[in-house]
This record gives sequence, structure tokens and C-alpha cells, in this order.
Amino acid sequence: MNLDDIIKETKTFYCLECGKCSSICPISRYDPAYSPRLMVEDALLGLEDDLVHNKELFSCLTCGACQPKCPSDVNYPLFIQKMRAIASSNGEHGECAHSGTIQSLIRLMSNPGVEQRRLEWLSNGYRTSDQSEVLFWVGCAPYFDPIFEDLGFKVTDIAKASLRILNFLGIEPMLLPNEKCCGHDILWTGDLDTFKKLAEQNAAMIREAGVEKIIFSCPECYRTFKEDYPNYVEIDCELQHISEFLSEAIEKDGLRFKESKKKVTYHDPCRLGRHLGVYEPPRKVIQAIPGIELVEMEQSREESLCCGTSAFTNCDSYSKQIRVERLLEAKATGADTLITTCPKCQIHFRCAMVNKAEEKGPDIEIEVMDMVNLVANALEGESNE
Amino acid sequence: MSNSVLVIGGGIAGIQASIDLANMGFHVYLVENSPSIGGRMAQLDKTFPTNDCAMCILAPKMIECYRHRNITVLSYSEVATVEGELGNFEVDVLRKPRYVDETKCTGCGECAQVCPVELKSEFDQGMGNRKAIYKPFAQAIPNIYVIDKKGTAPCKAACPVGLDIQGYVALISQGKFKEAFHLIRQKVILPATVGRVCTHPCEAECNRGKVDEPLAIAALKRFVADYELDTRTEEIAPAPRTRDERVAVVGSGPAGLTAANDLVLMGYGVTIFEALPVPGGMLAVGIPEYRLPKEILKREIEDIKKLGVEIRLNSPVGKNSLTLDDLWQEGYKAIFIGVGAHKSANLDIPGEDFEGVYHGISFLRDVNLGKKVAPGEKIAVVGGGNVAIDAARTALRLGSREVTIVYRRSRREMPANEEEIVEAEHEGIKIQYLVTPVRILGEDGRVSGMECIQMELGAPDASGRRRPIAIEGSQFTIDVDAVILAIGQSPDLALLPEDSKFQVSPRGTLVVDGKSLATSVPRVFAGGDAVLGPATVVQAIAAGHRAAIAIDSYLKDEMIPPEQEPLPTITIEDIDLRGKERRSRVAMPTLAPEERLTDFREVNLGLSAEMAIEEAKRCLNCGGCSGCRECEKVCQAKAINHEMKEEFLRLNVGAIILATGFDFYDISKLGEYGYGRIANVITAIEYERLTSASGPTYGELKRPSDGKIPSNIAFIQCVGSRDFKNMPYCSSVCCMHATKEAILAYEHHPGTKSTIFYIDLRAAGKRFQEYVTRAKEEYNITYIRGRPGRIDLSTADGNPIIWYEDTTTGETKAFEAELVILSQALVPSKGIEELASILGISLDKYGFAEIPDKLFSPLDTTRLGIFACGYAHSPRDIPDSVVQGSSAAGRVAEATAAKIPSFVAGGV
Repeated sequence: MNLDDIIKETKTFYCLECGKCSSICPISRYDPAYSPRLMVEDALLGLEDDLVHNKELFSCLTCGACQPKCPSDVNYPLFIQKMRAIASSNGEHGECAHSGTIQSLIRLMSNPGVEQRRLEWLSNGYRTSDQSEVLFWVGCAPYFDPIFEDLGFKVTDIAKASLRILNFLGIEPMLLPNEKCCGHDILWTGDLDTFKKLAEQNAAMIREAGVEKIIFSCPECYRTFKEDYPNYVEIDCELQHISEFLSEAIEKDGLRFKESKKKVTYHDPCRLGRHLGVYEPPRKVIQAIPGIELVEMEQSREESLCCGTSAFTNCDSYSKQIRVERLLEAKATGADTLITTCPKCQIHFRCAMVNKAEEKGPDIEIEVMDMVNLVANALEGESNE
Repeated sequence: MSNSVLVIGGGIAGIQASIDLANMGFHVYLVENSPSIGGRMAQLDKTFPTNDCAMCILAPKMIECYRHRNITVLSYSEVATVEGELGNFEVDVLRKPRYVDETKCTGCGECAQVCPVELKSEFDQGMGNRKAIYKPFAQAIPNIYVIDKKGTAPCKAACPVGLDIQGYVALISQGKFKEAFHLIRQKVILPATVGRVCTHPCEAECNRGKVDEPLAIAALKRFVADYELDTRTEEIAPAPRTRDERVAVVGSGPAGLTAANDLVLMGYGVTIFEALPVPGGMLAVGIPEYRLPKEILKREIEDIKKLGVEIRLNSPVGKNSLTLDDLWQEGYKAIFIGVGAHKSANLDIPGEDFEGVYHGISFLRDVNLGKKVAPGEKIAVVGGGNVAIDAARTALRLGSREVTIVYRRSRREMPANEEEIVEAEHEGIKIQYLVTPVRILGEDGRVSGMECIQMELGAPDASGRRRPIAIEGSQFTIDVDAVILAIGQSPDLALLPEDSKFQVSPRGTLVVDGKSLATSVPRVFAGGDAVLGPATVVQAIAAGHRAAIAIDSYLKDEMIPPEQEPLPTITIEDIDLRGKERRSRVAMPTLAPEERLTDFREVNLGLSAEMAIEEAKRCLNCGGCSGCRECEKVCQAKAINHEMKEEFLRLNVGAIILATGFDFYDISKLGEYGYGRIANVITAIEYERLTSASGPTYGELKRPSDGKIPSNIAFIQCVGSRDFKNMPYCSSVCCMHATKEAILAYEHHPGTKSTIFYIDLRAAGKRFQEYVTRAKEEYNITYIRGRPGRIDLSTADGNPIIWYEDTTTGETKAFEAELVILSQALVPSKGIEELASILGISLDKYGFAEIPDKLFSPLDTTRLGIFACGYAHSPRDIPDSVVQGSSAAGRVAEATAAKIPSFVAGGV
């Protein structure tokens, strides 16, 4: 794609140069010089080189906070995604966090010859089946466990809780033993070649598995399959986030929960909320548990504040400040627990709390939990984890 | 071919078009849907770029328009139907009722002074209040008041009598207790009694109940009536006897007393025949003293007697005494039967005839008539209605140590008043739910115990309540020495002759015609519990009114007058709740529980005047005008007519001009600006009302949160305009009006700093750019190019904080202001889609008139003969609207001239 195509596809030519995007952008609030508008201006002025080599190009969280408010309907996150593809082909990659470990792993996985042992976390208590019509997409959780050991939780616990819930509802889903990374982070940092490889391999495995439905516990995988894969491959399945699946089960099948007295607040992940418009199902599920009091944060739903980092790239002090703001907001609700539906958000929140010991600062400690873990603990007849 | 023209919309464009046409010799009908012409320009303080006072230049035009002999202003009216074509349109105009006679009102304003109802003023955009009878603004043309009747308040709709509850509550809120009393007394007799015992269905429907708690309507009625009894100085004069006929009323309960009251006021002679030694029916012998002191009832019944009603006590009507035939012989021309339902139902269980088994009704009657009754030490009361509770609480006061109520359903199905149940519990009465007696046990013919059985609720029965079903084997015995049965009542119809042709229902009640309350026997009417079975006092009063009207019509040989169609009932969604904070309902002071059981002193002590006024102020004024009629009393021109109806006027016109102007886009959904969330974020038109000397703050620029005069103001342009997700077009006037308002702020308080956040500054008109330049140079106004995306609230002092990018430097910044003004998008007038469909014209997707040929026929809509001008046509300012108004007049003349003989003959 060239710059002209990008401008057309993202409707950037409508831009009024009004700066509303910058005034909403969480990064701009902490870094006044950061201006989404100026990047669009550069594009409109044809300053492709400046844009491609601008380090700030990889700072955008692609959280989409600007998009619902842009009076000219510019699709800014998509603009950034496409620009980064041009940048990447010009050798620009942004600053990879964690020494590039995650990006390297993803690229490793894209090699068709790679065999993985990614289901070791699956113990005997969980029932899966090769014959199922439902596939549960695990995502990169098995890789995150060792990388983020210091954060005090296992990302695979989200997968486990999801499986427990599905089993409880009588579903023994299929798990792909050689699942490849969906490619979200790779796509959003512009490496289209690697992304294509991953997409093709995943599509082939799914085709061969012959499943009708894929359930996700990670909004980034969900969004990638739903919005980005169709540009490259065909996935002929129904796609659903586990919160949507549970919300349906509550409404249609009368799924009920044990009482759990907790005051919680809910963080809308960018990919599930603004990118896909899924705001109510997680809330419905949380509030279906008797005894739960759900209090909304000041910035919620469409106005939800991003967790501060995207694609493990350009994670800096601004990311941290945004994260702290969000955690303070969660604490201000008086809730004991911050519930989210995204493993990445949880990783980033926990990182802020664990690494807080290094600096003096406000108290940001709060219990963080994925919705599926909250639900799994409330299943009738099940003992608590 | 008509040389009349219809102009729809009385704003500046419509006024200009009307005057131009009138000067040419056309007759103009100017239809305006609000009570006054003037439109949006009347709401402005000043106009740009000259900073002229808007009203000073508008008012002369308004007057010229109104007084022009060729212009008929039809204000408070709407176009209902349009048929025909250019030269010959048939138009029906709906004239909404003002309830004020236009030919008599002088606009003096005495009525508004006394009106107790305050509502949000539309002209002041909700920043200030007006009364229910009002002129929209001081210079309104026509200079005539209008009464805002929004609908029927739910309290009035729920009341069987249709009492003007909002009316008397409003009067109480103004301290006008006597006036409140008179309003109540017109429809409700015995108000001090009713205020104590009514089941108040009004309170269940009170819309305030959906905000916090319903108004204590019954308590307010009681307060007013008690106040009147305590402070009355004039004597009640007997009603003039203007008719020869006499009516007999059987029974002096509330139904009979009401019928008698009404009939004596209509001029008839009325005699009530009461079987008992005291008047009042169930009020006297059913309701205990601690709920309704006999003294109060007695005084209120005396008031009815003073009107000229004769009450004969100890005079039963029936087979063994005075019969109905005797009454005809004595010359009565009509009879009303209001004997109530004093027969108590039997339980039909073994042991019912033991000594110590009482019936609630006769038990209460004996106590109320002063007989000595000692019911027993441990009593069971069977039943769940008010009679059961009354009997239980009475027994306690007579010395019984332990009183248990036994009811066969659960608490939710109990028919007794909730307040009564609660008080019974406070007094230590135990209530056993889902229990029914099987047998009364006796020793030596006296009650020694009661065998009961547990019940459970099954499917609903005919009454809609779940049927109780006995649980096998769950019998148990309770230890009691007396039982009071209060399980049901029915009328004692022994007064009816043996061979009577009276139709009686299976329940034992009299069957009557629903409208006239006539029984199946000519000249005999009936109402109250005798017809309904055990019902309420207020239903009996309603029946009394209805019967009196029917009897009066019958005696005059006239038709019963048809009932008024009520206005639709107002629901909570219809009410503007801005600024209403939650406040609890006043608590009725009561006698301390320890003090209650020693005697029969009244338990509820009544509200004080201060409490009553405070409580009355909680009323939401759902119906708008409260029906208190104070305005009528002070109008010296006798211009007020609450019975006015809407009317239709048929016009024949040659052409139609659409000049309906604009409304304000609803920006409350644009959450980022904080409108509605942050007090000091207001819209431009709201600010305009603040700067106006005729506005709610008399021109003081007090900001909403604390009344402080802001020295640092920010304006945000294009709120909802130039926005693909809201209104994509430019509203045309905002850049200039923001500049104007910033200039005015400085003129009010020199030194004020104003900052205007814009994208493009549109100053295209004559001398507009110079105006902006002066603003920058002389009025301390800074223009920042940047469209804010977020407004937070500063924690300390109510200051909004604006986040914006200064697009000239690329820096994102936070700007704290003391007051933020949003230049909100302007859209075609509300209701334009409906009007367009009536006119048969097309609108564009934003609601502006569709103009097929924009270049050569720029005012022609899609229907020949209908032209659009002003904002209804497209966004524009006042001078441009005036130009289009004149153009439309010219276009009408051109289009119709060829067809008008006098024009063709020699030209004008």
C-alpha cells in the first residue's frame, strides 16, 4: 500500500486539522508534544519520509479513543497500522519492550517447521476433545507465563478458567496443539510478511480441524481474527469472545451462579470495547453473579482509558503514567477488585503495581482479575480455586 | 383565487414577510405556535455586529406586525391540514386553548402574581422560572397571558372524586390555607375526616414517589381542614331554597352526606334518615376514636346541617318502620339510598355462637356508641382488612393483654392500609399470616381457644389474589378467650320491600346504572358501599356527587350533562427533573407507643404549618396549572376561562410561507463536553439569557454553580456542528455570536478575559471581520485554533478544565476556565417533519426545506405556492433572514399577481 491509498482508505483527507484527537489522546495529555493531528498533517502534506522515520509513529497505543470523537470520521488507528507497515519495510520497528523477546517468539512461531509443546499447562481436570465443533483459542498465554513470572499470576489460569467454564456448560472444546500466535502485535508493528505467514498457518489448521465456532478469551486474538484476518485468509467459523458466549448462556439457558460478595469495577479493553463494540456482555456476566456490586470508573465504555501499552512496543514513562491514572481511577470507585477481559491489560496493570516499589508514588494496589476467573469461582457446585 | 397569504412562524423572517405582504395589500395570517411572536431574536440580548439591543429593534416590528390592519396574528396556534394549490389553499389552523380570553385580557399580570405554580421558563432556556399562567417575556405580542395545562396530574387522575389535589397543595405551599380549604371543600365534604382516614390512592400514583417519596397528600388535607376548624370566624349560611322538590336520603354516611350537601346547594330540600343514634355511618361507628376523633366528625357534619340539611336520627327506613312507600306519600320526589355495608359476614365454623365471639363491625359500633365492652384478655381477630386492624387496636385499648390477628393469606395480599398494619405492629399486635380458623373451642358456652390450620397460596382466584389452600395435618390451637370476626361486610338491605323490584347482585349489593346510579326502581338512586360492597370513603363521596347530578337532572327533566374528556395523565418522563434533589417526605408526628394504649387519644398528631408548607413545596406540579383558580379570583377583566376548548379555523389563502426558524441540537449525548455533568458548562443561548437585563439574573453574569461572576470565560465552537457524527453543516452564526458574547462579558465587567476555541473563524458578513478585529484589540479576547475533546471538572471550585491542542504550535494543553460556553449546533425547529408532511413538501436530510432549483428559484419548496425563508430554509443570521423574508414576500406577490384581477389591471 502506498501513502495515497492509506489516506483514501482511512478517510484522512477529511481531516479538519482541528486537534480534537490530540486533546483526547492519553499520550498527548502526558506528552504535550505528541500530536496525532500532526502525523495526519504530515501524511496529507506528502511528507512520507518524515512520517516513516518518526519515532513517535510507534508510540500510538492504537487504543481508538480518538476515533468515536473525530468529527471527520478519520480512522486513525488503521492509519497508524498501515503507516507502520510502510515504516517496517523501511527498516523502522519502534522500541521493542522486554528486549524484543515477545516479537522474537512470534517470529519463531511463524516458521512452519516449528513444533511447540504449548499445552503442558493442561492438567487432568480439564476435558477437551478432538471431535468438538468448538475450538478454544489459547493464545500466547503459555509463553507469557515464564516471561512474566514476576507478576504473580499465571496467564494460563485464564485459559484454565475458560475451560472449566466451558466444561461446566457441557462443552469439551478442541485445543490446537500447534496453535500459532494470531499475529496481533506483529501486525500492529508493521511486519506484514510475518503476519501473513501466521495467518495462513492458523487458517490451514482451523480448516483441517473442521470446527464451526472459535471462542476467545483474549480480545486481541478475537479482533485480529474478526477484522484483520479476512484481508488475508478465510476463516469460515463463528467467532465469539467468552464474555459474549457467557452472556448468551445466562440469557438463553438460565445459567446461574453462586453468591460472591465483592465490590468490583470493570476495565473495558480497547480491542474488545472500542474496536469491536463489546461493552455490555462482560458487564452482564459480572452482574449475573449474586452479591457482586459493579461500580463504573469515571472513564468507561467508549471513553475507557487504555491500559497504556500496545504490542509490547514503545513502552515508556508515558505508558506508566497512563496506567497509574487508570489504576487510581479504579481505586477511586472503592472497588476491591479490578476486573478485565484482556490478559495483556492484566499484565500491564500488574507490571505497574509490581514495579511501583521502585518509586514513591500514590497507592495503586488493587486486586486484578480476569472475568473468567471471577466466573469460574462462582460456578454452582464447584469449589473455590 | 385568494389574496390572503399564510405565514407559518412568527420570528423575524416571518414578521418581515408579513409586513411586506401586508403593505402590498395582501391579507396575512401569521400563525405562531408559541404564545408570542418574536422568535429567537427576542431571546437575544444584543445582535452582532452592531451590538444593538435585540428587543429594541425587534419590538417595533412586532407591534407593527400585530397592529397592521392587513395582518391577523394567530398565536398559540398550529397548522393542522393543508389542501389545494397555488392561488387556492384550504388550511385548517388549530387554535390551542389559552384558557384566557384574548379579547378581554389586558396583560396586567395580577394573575401571575397569585399563581402558586412555578415551572421552568422555556424563554429563559430553563435558567429561570415562570408561573403556570404566564407571558413568555415582558414584551410579548400579543400582550396576553396563557395558562399552561400540561395534562392531568396523576394524583387527580387516581382520585375517585377527581379532586384538584395539585391545586390545594400549591396553595398550601404559598401559605394560602383558607383558599386551599375552599378548593378541597368544593369536591370533598368532611375534609378533616377524609384527611385522616382516606386510603389515598393519589399518593400511590404521585410522580414525586418516583424521585424520592410521594407527597403526604392526605396529611396535607387534614392540616388544612384542621386549620380551618380552628380559625374559622364566619358562620356558614344556609343554602338558598330555590326549588320546591324535596329529596330523601337514606343513610348519613359519606355517600348520603355528599348527595345531601350537593342537593341542598342546588336549592332542594333534603332530609336524611339515619337509623343509628349518631350521624356519619361507618365514619362514626366503624372507625375508632384514636384514628378519627368523634368531635371532628361531629363538627364537620354540623357544617353540612348548617347548609339546611335535616338529619333525623334513630329513624330507620325499612319494613317495620318508615317504608319507601311512606316516603313517597310524604311527598319526596326522589330517594338516594346510602345505607353502607354494615352486615358482618359469618365464618360458618363450629363454635361461632359461643359467648365471647364478636363481629368486628358490631364490636366497633358498640365501642363507638359509648357502650361498655370488655372483650377479653387474649383475643384473636380473624381477618386482614381495616376493620380487623381497627378491632385489634381497639381491643388493646380496652385492656386486652394479648391481641393476635389471624389472616389466611400473606402480608402482601392484606387489604388493610399499610400504615395501619405498621402501627398495629408498633403497638405489639401479633399478626399470624397464612392461618385460618377451623373451629372455635368452648367451655361452658364460652370461648376457650381456637383451632387453626396453616395455609399456603395456590393459583389466583376471582379477586386476582392467590387462593389459600389448607395444608393437611397442620392444625394447631391458639389460647384465646375471645374471637372477633372481621372477614367481610355486605349491605343490610332489609329496608327493601318484600316484593321490591330492586335488582340485587349475587354479592348482596344494589345494582345501579353506572352513569346515573339509578336503581331498577324509578326515582330511587343508590351509591357507596351499598352498591360497591365494602369500599372507601372517597368512592362513596364520588357516588354522592354523581347521584346528586343525576337526581337534579331527573327532577328538571334534563339530560345528565356529559362528562369532560380529561387531558392525558402526566407521567414521570414528561417532567423536567433538573435541579430537583431528593428530599424525604415529612414524617407525621405520632403519639409515643407507650402513651397510646392507655386511652383513645388520636395517635397521629397532625402536621404544623411549617411542615405542611415544606412538604407542599416538594410537589412537582405535574399538571402545570394546578386548577387552584386563584387567577380567576384576581382577574378584574374576567378574562380567565378554565373550560376553554381548542378550536379550528378554516382559512383560504393563495400562498404559504414557511418561516419556522431553528431549535437547539441536543448536545447532552456529547459526553466529552460535560454538559449536564458539569454545572459551569452552559450553552450559548443559556448564556444569552444570563446577559439579558430581562433574563433570570437580570443581566448579572452569575455562573450556575455558585453565582460567582467569572473573570475567565471560554467559548467552544462547533459543538455538534461540522461533525460527521452529529450535524455535518456549519450553523453559520456561532463564530459571530461567540465573539459578541465575549464582548458583552467585557462590557459587563471590564477586564474579563475570554478565550474562543475555534477551527475556522467565519466572519463573512458586512463589517463582521472588523468586529472580530476589535474583539481581539479592545476586548481582551483571545482566539485559539483548536477543537477541545475533553472537559474535566477541577476538584476544588467547580472550574471546568478544557483539554485542547493548540494547532498553531502542536502542543496539547489543559486550560482552566471559570465558565465554559458551548456554541451548540442549530437545527430546524422541532416538529418540522410533521409540518412538512402536512404541507406536502420535502425536507433535506437535516430537516431544512428542500429547494429543487437553488439558483433561479431559491425560495421555492417542492410544492408550488409554498416558499421557505429564514433558518427553516438554511442556516443564516438575522439580516439574511430579514432579506429572505422580504424575498419570500416578493416571490409570493410574483407567483400570485398574475391571478389577482386588481394586480393585472394596473399594477400596484
